[in-house]
Parts: sequence; C-alpha cells; structure tokens
Amino acid sequence: MLEIKKLKKKFGSKQVLKGINMTVEKGDIIGLIGPSGCGKSTLLRCMNLLEKPDSGEVIFEGDNLIDNKNFETLRRKIGMVFQQFNLFEHMTVLDNITYAPVKLKLMKKQEAEKEAKKLLKEIDLEGIMNQYPSQISGGQKQRVAIIRSLMMKPEMILFDEPTSALDPEMIGEVTNLMRKLARDGMTMVVVSHEMSFVKSFCTKVLFMSDGIIKEEGTSKEIFENPKDDKLKSFLSKINSY
Amino acid sequence: MKKYVIFLIVTLCIFLTGCEEKKEEIVMVTEAGFAPYEYYSGGEIVGVDVDIAKRIAEKLGKKLVVKDVAFDSIISEVKTGKSDFGAAGISYTEERAKEVDFTINYAESKQVILVRKNSTIKTVDDIKNKRVAVQLGTVADTYLSEEYPSVSLVREKKFLAAIQDLKDRKVDVVVMDELPAKELLTDDLIILENPLLIDEYGMVVRKGNQELLTAINDAIKEMKASGEIEKMILSHMGVEEKEKNETIWDRFYNSVIKDQRYEFILEGLRNTLLIALGAVMIGIFLGTVAAISRNIYENTGHLRILHWISKSYVSIIRGTPSTLQLMIIYYVIFKQTDIHIILVGILAFGLNSGAYVAEIIRAGINSIPKGQWEAGYSLGLSYGKVMRGIILPQAVKNILPALGNEFITLVKETSIGAYIGIVELTKASDIIASRTYDYFFPLILIAIIYFVITLCLSKLIGLMEKRLNNARN
Ligand SMILES: Nc1ncnc2c1ncn2[C@@H]1O[C@H](COP(=O)(O)OP(=O)(O)OP(=O)(O)O)[C@@H](O)[C@H]1O
Ligand SMILES: [Mg+2]
Repeated sequence: MLEIKKLKKKFGSKQVLKGINMTVEKGDIIGLIGPSGCGKSTLLRCMNLLEKPDSGEVIFEGDNLIDNKNFETLRRKIGMVFQQFNLFEHMTVLDNITYAPVKLKLMKKQEAEKEAKKLLKEIDLEGIMNQYPSQISGGQKQRVAIIRSLMMKPEMILFDEPTSALDPEMIGEVTNLMRKLARDGMTMVVVSHEMSFVKSFCTKVLFMSDGIIKEEGTSKEIFENPKDDKLKSFLSKINSY
Repeated sequence: MKKYVIFLIVTLCIFLTGCEEKKEEIVMVTEAGFAPYEYYSGGEIVGVDVDIAKRIAEKLGKKLVVKDVAFDSIISEVKTGKSDFGAAGISYTEERAKEVDFTINYAESKQVILVRKNSTIKTVDDIKNKRVAVQLGTVADTYLSEEYPSVSLVREKKFLAAIQDLKDRKVDVVVMDELPAKELLTDDLIILENPLLIDEYGMVVRKGNQELLTAINDAIKEMKASGEIEKMILSHMGVEEKEKNETIWDRFYNSVIKDQRYEFILEGLRNTLLIALGAVMIGIFLGTVAAISRNIYENTGHLRILHWISKSYVSIIRGTPSTLQLMIIYYVIFKQTDIHIILVGILAFGLNSGAYVAEIIRAGINSIPKGQWEAGYSLGLSYGKVMRGIILPQAVKNILPALGNEFITLVKETSIGAYIGIVELTKASDIIASRTYDYFFPLILIAIIYFVITLCLSKLIGLMEKRLNNARN
C-alpha cells in the first residue's frame, strides 16, 4: 500500500533521515520506535508529505507522492493523528469533523453530519458535538481527531504519539478506539513511546536509529529477541523506568 | 515583471493625460496667516496679495484660485507647477531665486523687533546672545542665521507661535514683518523703533515662465504707479476690530462662534474623517494583499513577484517618516496633476497604513500554531482552503485589537495632512488661531474631538472583539 525508498531528509546541516526503506501492507499495524530525536516524526510526516523529503520516493498505491500534482487528493486517503490533537479551535466538534469532506465536496453537509453523529455515537461522544475544543477533555479531543480523519475514509492512518499528551486515565479511551479500528482492518503506522502498547498492539515493529531503520520484525521478535546493540540498550533503558 | 511595469506606466499615462489641462483657472499659493497680506476672513482668504492676484487674474482672463499651504512648501508648490505663482510676502533671497523666478517688488517690508514691554532690549544690537523666535523659512530666519550667529534661534512653523513664545517668556525677541506685527500687537508687547532690516516682497513663478512673469510685472507696475497697492495695504490694516479677549466666554466666542469660525472645525472634522475612512479601506486592502501574498509565497512558492513587491513596500513605508511619504506623493508622484488634495491624503495615508496592517495581519497569521495548518493539510485541504477556513478566522481574533490601534494612530496621523494644505482638524485650529491670536480654544476643542473619535473607535473595536468571543463560547 505504501512503499518508501531511499528516503533522505536533512534540516540545515543535520541529516535526519539517511535513506529509509520500508513497506506498509494493507492491514499492517506498524509500530515505529527509537530514541528521542532520531527522526520518527519526520519519517511519519514524510509519508503524507507534511515534510518534503530531499530525495527518495514515497509510493502510495502505485503513485509517487513527491512532485505529484495530485498529491493533495492522494493525501486525503492517508489520515493523520497528532500528539497535540490539532482540533480547529474555532469550530464545534461537529464542524471539526464535517469541515473537510463538505469543503472538498465529498459529502453534502447533512450527509456528513449524519455520518459524524453515527461515529460519535459509537464511542458515546454525541453529547459533546456542539461543544468547542476548549471545552472538552484531552481524551475526548484525541478521539474527535481520530473520527475527523476517519471521515475522509482513509486507506491508512498515521499516529504520532497519540497518547503522550494525555493524562494517564484518558489513555485507555484513545487506545480502545485504536484497537477498534484495528479490528475493522485499518492500516496504521504508530509512533509511540508506550512500549507495552506497541508490543501488544502492533503486528510489525520498526526500530529507528541514526537516521535509518536498524531493525524490523514482529513485536515478538523485536521485544523478546532483539539483535541490534542499539535496540538492546534502547529497550533496557525503557524497561528500567 | 516587464508586463507589470508596462501596465503601470500605461495606466499612469492615461491617468495623467486625463487630468491635464482644463485650465481656465490660475492658482496662487500662499500661507494665509500673514495679515494684512493674506488672512482668513469669513472663511475666505483675503489680503493685499489676494487683491493684487485678483487683478492679475482679471488681466489674464482667468479665474483665481487661492491655495493655503505651509510657508516652507510654497516654493516647491510653484516649482512643481502645482500652483502657478506664489504670493505670500516672499522676500527676495538668492537661494529662492535659484529655485523660482521673482517678479519685481510690490511692497517694502521692514523686519521689526518685538519684545516684551519691560524688556531690557532696546536696540538692534541688544539681541546678540538672546533667544529669538522667527517663522521658519522667512527672511528673518535666513538673515539672523547668517548675520547673528550668537543668537539662539527658535524656528516656529507659524509666527503666531513665535509671538506666543515671547509672551510665555520662552524667547526674548521675535523678528517679523512690520505690518502683521502691528496687526497683532497687544498691550504687553512693543515694537522697537529701528527695524532689523528692510527688504522687499515679490511674487514667484516657475523658472522660465516668462509669460506669466511679464503679466504679473505689468500688473504690479501699473498698480504701483496708480498708488493702488498702498491703498490696498491701508484697507487691510486694522479691519478686524481688536477683539475683546477678557473673559473666558469672550475667548470662546471669538474662537468658535464669531464669523462662523466653527465652520473651519466642521470642515476639518469632515476632511479628517474622510481621509481616515478612505485610508482605512485602502490600508486594509493593501495590507491584506501584501500579507497574504507573502504567506502564499512562503508556503507554496507561488506569487514570487507580488511577494517581492509586498516585502519591499512594507519595508520602505516602515522605514521612512510618514510626512516625507505624504510630500513625495504630493510633490513628486502627483507633481503635475490636478488630483484633489483630499484624494492625495487618502492615498498617502492608505499606502502608509497598508504597510502596518500587512505586518499586523502577518503577525496574526503567524500566531496560529503550525499544527492547525498541518491538521488541515492532512485532511487533503488545499492551502487556500486552510487559510480561509481555518487560519484566518482564528487569526482575526489576534489581529483585531492591533488593527484597532493602527486605526486610532491613523486618525491622529492625518494631522500631518496640513503639510500639503489639507484643511483637517489641526489645520482648522491653526487657521482660527491665526485670526484670533488665541490658541487656547481651537487647540482644546480639536483635542476633545480627536479624543472622542478615538474613544468611539476603541469602543467599536472592543464591541467587535466581544462579539467574536461570544460567538465562540
Ligand atoms: N522543522 C525542523 N527544522 C529543523 N530541525 C528539525 C525540524 N523538525 C525536526 N527537526 C530535527 O530533526 C530531528 C528529528 O526530529 P523528529 O521530530 O523527527 O524526532 P523524533 O524521533 O520524532 O523525536 P521525539 O521522540 O522526541 O518526538 C531532531 O533533531 C529535530 O530537532
Ligand atoms: Mg516525534
């Protein structure tokens, strides 16, 4: 579904991505782990071109996104969920969710609202649909953000540390929603520092370090039988917390 | 780029030729605070110079238009052809003669010395090392600067202000023309017997305008010979009976009610509001275009040229004084056109404000977290849709208060319009004071008016902010 070839990116003189190769198959739930500052977010943001790579290819369902005139249309099919939620502060929850599909003329307003209400209802959030982001909790915000991206009927969703800005008691409501998406067969790439979540949630795990993918495998392989030295020391540091 | 330039030149040409030559008018430029030569009476500029000018116009079969600007702007008015000739009790000096052509003399003037009644200064020689006030750019100014380096000169824009300085003991001496000095002599001041110097007044025309020069010279010769000029001077001396200025009510009456002087204030108010309003609209338009084009370029790489123009525009405007911009627009850009002066004001202040509005909008846009853009982009929205639907609506909340401040500043800034002869509030109060010799009420009155306007403005902005916040919560 998504293939990345020889992807390179530098900020100033700092080479953050030094040639990344990876493949995401339909139904994959990929965990992206690695030390802070190793370029996980940068890689994720290159997947939907929020960050423009210096070289390499990002091939989504056969089309290279880079220098593609149509990339705005293609990008609709790749959802993204941010650490800081990034809900539109001046819109109600309902407008947040329906804004893009209505503006892009993918749905009529009534249609979009009906769909949004249905999705909100499934996670018991229909009560907050007329509230503004400043009036709801972090856990609610992140779930609204996920639903917002679902409205575009994406083929895959990218998550950049979706729970790390949340109070501990709210993490569950977000991860539960993600598990539900997984059961429905959604393809996902998740950057997370929550190793236990990655371990239990992801089908495949990639370990990034020094701007490349150092090791990849199933969660079991990565967490129970790590081979790379950097990965070993990374895991031991995490476990000692 | 080329296309833009050609387009600009073509429109400018059309504009200029469209405005050219419908002249059955002849324009005299002056500074109407110099009785008996030129002063306001009942809303009109009259005086010796105006009487002479009327005769000249009559001879030429043209209609006389009298224009009132700052004294130090008169030469450039004539030089640029915005006015046909200048008549303002202008003394011949070599510097001036380099810029414009002088007619023959039509009046002799004595530059006299005014002091307070009990002053120790008794003769011309006593002014050495003293503080002396003069009107900027007058012959007294040049003469004292050159011949009396020991005096400390205070150069006032108006000689009325110089007189006020003398009364307030800020200076010890005022040097000015004898006739207006006699006009405004009050009990506490005296004129020394011997004048500082005697010089002669001529009118000025644009260099090389031989035809007009001859016509004026002929008229002056004729009127001098027949003794008419002398009669004119006498007829304008002491016409205004000395105004009673004893009680506060007298002063108020003289400043505001007498001769319908409030009409100056009303006209000033109208022009101030007109200019501010027009300038605000142009400012918002230009500011939005400049800010958005910059943002478009920075985010998408499109509109490179417009972005470059916007950037230069903003830095040039912010890097030069607004008075200068106003004068450049009037004296350089609209040099030889008959464009209405209020329109010049609107354009100049609009252009000025636009640069500040651009920066305000830019700051407002930049104040919105990057995550809002990214969320919009990740949903497949284009730059334009994110900007219009997500960024701008949020930015307005941050932009509005700063924008309000900018407009309050703008209203006050219009007061420099007087430089090019716009009768706005400040100029209006100046005109009144030039007749009453009393600054108190005109100044207080317009201060109150400015304050009320800006107060209303800030209330209005506050109301809008509140509504914006209510819509959210
Ligand atoms: N826009 C940018 N400009 C300059 N440097 C950047 C930019 N974005 C990221 N970087 C740098 O690139 C490196 C990788 O950043 P990135 O955010 O991808 O790391 P990360 O692996 O997501 O880290 P974390 O776990 O802390 O989120 C960091 O050193 C960061 O400072
Ligand atoms: Mg990150």
